[in-house]
Amino acid sequence: MKFDTVIIGGGLAGLTCGIKLAESGQKCAIVSSGQSALHFFSGSFDLLSYDRKGAEVAYPLEEINNLSDHHPYRRIGVNRIKELLSQVAPLLENAGLHFQGDADMNHYVINPMGKLKPTWLTIDDFSIFDPMIGIPWTKIALLNISGFLDFHTRFVASGLASSGITVQVKYFAMDSFEKIRHNPSEMRSTNIAKIFDQETVIDEFIQRVNELSEGFESVLLPAVFGLFNSTVVGKIKRGVNKPICLVPVIPPSVPGIRSQITLFKRFQALGGKYFLGDSVESGTFQEDKLLAVNTVNQGDISLVADSFVMATGGFSSLGLVASPEKIYDPVFDLDVISHDKRVDWVDKNIFNKQPFMYYGVKTDAAFHAIKAGRAIKNLYVVGSILSGANSLKEGSGAGISLLSALHVSDCIMKADSKE
Amino acid sequence: MNKNNSQEYDVIIIGGGITGAGTARDCAMRGLKVLMVERHDLATGATGRNHGLLHSGARYAVTDPESASECIKENMILRKIANHCVDETDGLFISLPEDDLDFQTQFIRSCVEAGIPAEAIDPDLARRMEPSANPNLVGAVKVPDGSVDPFRLTLANALDAKIHGAKLLTQHEVMGIIKEQDRAVGVRLLDRHTKEEKTYYSKILVNAGGIWGHHIAELAGVKVNMFPAKGSLLIFGHRVNKLVINRCRKPSNADILVPGDTISVIGTTSDRIPYDQIDNMCVTPQEVDILMSEGQKLAPSLATTRILRAYAGVRPLVAADNDPTGRNISRGIVLLDHEERDGLAGFITITGGKLMTYRLMAEWATDLVCKKLAIDQACQTAETLLPGAKKRDNFSLKNATQAIYSEAPLSLAQKAARHRHGSLSTKIKDKNEYEDSMICECEGVSVGEVNYAIEELHVNNLVDLRRRTRLGMGTCQGELCACRGAALLCAKSDNPNAVKDDLADFLQERWKGMYPVAWGETINEVEFTSWIYEGVYGLKPEKN
Repeated sequence: MKFDTVIIGGGLAGLTCGIKLAESGQKCAIVSSGQSALHFFSGSFDLLSYDRKGAEVAYPLEEINNLSDHHPYRRIGVNRIKELLSQVAPLLENAGLHFQGDADMNHYVINPMGKLKPTWLTIDDFSIFDPMIGIPWTKIALLNISGFLDFHTRFVASGLASSGITVQVKYFAMDSFEKIRHNPSEMRSTNIAKIFDQETVIDEFIQRVNELSEGFESVLLPAVFGLFNSTVVGKIKRGVNKPICLVPVIPPSVPGIRSQITLFKRFQALGGKYFLGDSVESGTFQEDKLLAVNTVNQGDISLVADSFVMATGGFSSLGLVASPEKIYDPVFDLDVISHDKRVDWVDKNIFNKQPFMYYGVKTDAAFHAIKAGRAIKNLYVVGSILSGANSLKEGSGAGISLLSALHVSDCIMKADSKE
Repeated sequence: MNKNNSQEYDVIIIGGGITGAGTARDCAMRGLKVLMVERHDLATGATGRNHGLLHSGARYAVTDPESASECIKENMILRKIANHCVDETDGLFISLPEDDLDFQTQFIRSCVEAGIPAEAIDPDLARRMEPSANPNLVGAVKVPDGSVDPFRLTLANALDAKIHGAKLLTQHEVMGIIKEQDRAVGVRLLDRHTKEEKTYYSKILVNAGGIWGHHIAELAGVKVNMFPAKGSLLIFGHRVNKLVINRCRKPSNADILVPGDTISVIGTTSDRIPYDQIDNMCVTPQEVDILMSEGQKLAPSLATTRILRAYAGVRPLVAADNDPTGRNISRGIVLLDHEERDGLAGFITITGGKLMTYRLMAEWATDLVCKKLAIDQACQTAETLLPGAKKRDNFSLKNATQAIYSEAPLSLAQKAARHRHGSLSTKIKDKNEYEDSMICECEGVSVGEVNYAIEELHVNNLVDLRRRTRLGMGTCQGELCACRGAALLCAKSDNPNAVKDDLADFLQERWKGMYPVAWGETINEVEFTSWIYEGVYGLKPEKN
């Protein structure tokens, strides 16, 4: 099978790259083993939320200059990032995902600890707050479906209470949820979302929410609406007679799965070929080029392409693998930046900066992967598998994925037009 | 000092490990008014940091016949009185090509002399009995080893002490021993939760603090010459072996592989450490390497099995009184009457020994307490079942079938908890689908079990909850269940922000066992866990 570009990894970075290239007329394939970091999506994409000391960042573009030279943002370059930022919203918008927010200044969202967190783009299910104003309500009703264990009402309530907000927690049951309770491990976000997807419960739900939130300025609810049906949140928002604010729950993330599906459908609609549940096993290299890759499911049939993109993610996505001896890329055994000895991979305090979070595949300035010391001129690296960032501590994971993917897409198209 | 808290007991037992809990039970059963104090939680010291091996005694048969014979007797007693804490797996002592087969002959003879049934098994049969054992084995001996859950065993003893009227104070640290002339008469305690100081008085104080008993003795002004010996172990992510696998040779590093619950444990190493390091145990990369390489000789599949955690415990080795160098160390039970030894009346130390012989240690200590109080009551701990254990008289297949059908049907939550809490699992609320909901899918822990533990099993925090229920002990190491458990604790707490900090402590406690083995799936899990709790949830290490 012959493609212009084959992308390995179907998370946010891989999908962004695939959509961008397909929009530009390329014939693309994505090989994805399945879930991605979008499955624990909080509802927001961060660009840069915290500085090197852990303090909140108000103006992310200014703060990028204070990152280390090895950081993916610095390697892309601040000016280039400013250009790429203008492509982000249209790409998501055209796919059918609506986000609020601006890279010039972070806004706030409520996290499950009941605290405000600075972020860049927030999906329109969720409420965003102006950093100058904060939460404009003084009396909030916090509702949960009784027996749903993955939304921690008292955590949210106590966090908000420490900002002087009065929060009343209420639980409610509806007959429609009882059947999922019969199985002791089924009362989870996605199963609740599937019931809402059918829409038959929405009217009753709206009525209950209106009753229970009478006398309150707004309603906080767990983010369990709209798994495959993207109209659910809008219907609930229109029906409830006051502002609704959704709060993330324990994964799987319903808005995250919906986002992944939406991006995947956009990629397919653009003619992209998506190999789901497959993974790349090996590649055929010739000098400084990757000619083809072979996957588990396609067996002897190689995927041949002019360009390839590594978007395989970090450790939990299996983009990087650690053995007792070393940290390596399990796909091509590309050169990896990491410490040699395993004692140096970790910090004894889990809340400290963990060295392993910075590890990733080595690239040259043009984001070409390096293998055995040599840059592979048609193999690019994007997303969490890039080295040099601690996206957890910085709040930069989605930003790195989106921006590196867009940057590399441009590079691929330029290389394409030269040939 | 708050005089209102002053109370008098017959005996105050210091230490909530298995020795302390066992002694509290024995004293309470003999009618004494008992207070047990523990600075952290039940089974937080060496009690909860070993193999959890129900020794047949075979390991000591050649080198220490006295310990061996104590072990086999206690082994048989625990199978009866604590059957809900015991897994009667049996064990094999395998000889590998590099081991001396003559040792096996001597080993079997010594076992028989100590009263341990030991049967030589044909290597082919041994390989079929235990498919995970090294297939190169050249000899095998079957012995009545098993596994025992030290957390449950300690809890059962503590609960029984309570049933017999004892008072238990966890999270209470001994700050000082109150003395009147040449007599110890009480303790000064710090309530670690409220930061309040309290005093309690008693006729006798029993120091059952394990290695920490060295310090307790110092507080009383007497010297017990203890040497901390660190033993490191690794937990594997599933039950690799069916039988306990030992090496048939003189006791050495990493030569026991014990299956227990959903996991297998290999250990131990053995190193002397300075006393000031006993609260600062971490497993070194060298220890991990030794455990992995030696463990693979017992069961080659360990090479490809996920390691869940590494942990280390500290054995209290006691030097003979006339040997300040500590070379002449006893691994046997040490009971010190400080009135006779040091002229300090009302103070007793019970130490040495091992998990297996805790009941005997408790019996010795209680005998001495009773002697001093001039109480004539016989020990009944060897015959009386612990709470949760089931009577198994006249066991036959027919009876067993009848028993199953005559029992009231258990709810889902009760069934899931039955192998942890034994007959006490019926205390979990039934006929309630909400209580049946699983919060820890790895280990099958329900809302009902957690609520039962919080209400009745002395749970102060999330880490205590783990010891009572196995919440967070499975392959995900608390990734999703920690938060759910915290929410249930929160529902019964008046300070939700403190529960958030508690959740952060729990994650740090899990990481402590993971970072020495942070590769493979362990590093993947921790990255994911950090993303959930720090990334999505916004949890901070403290002051949440």
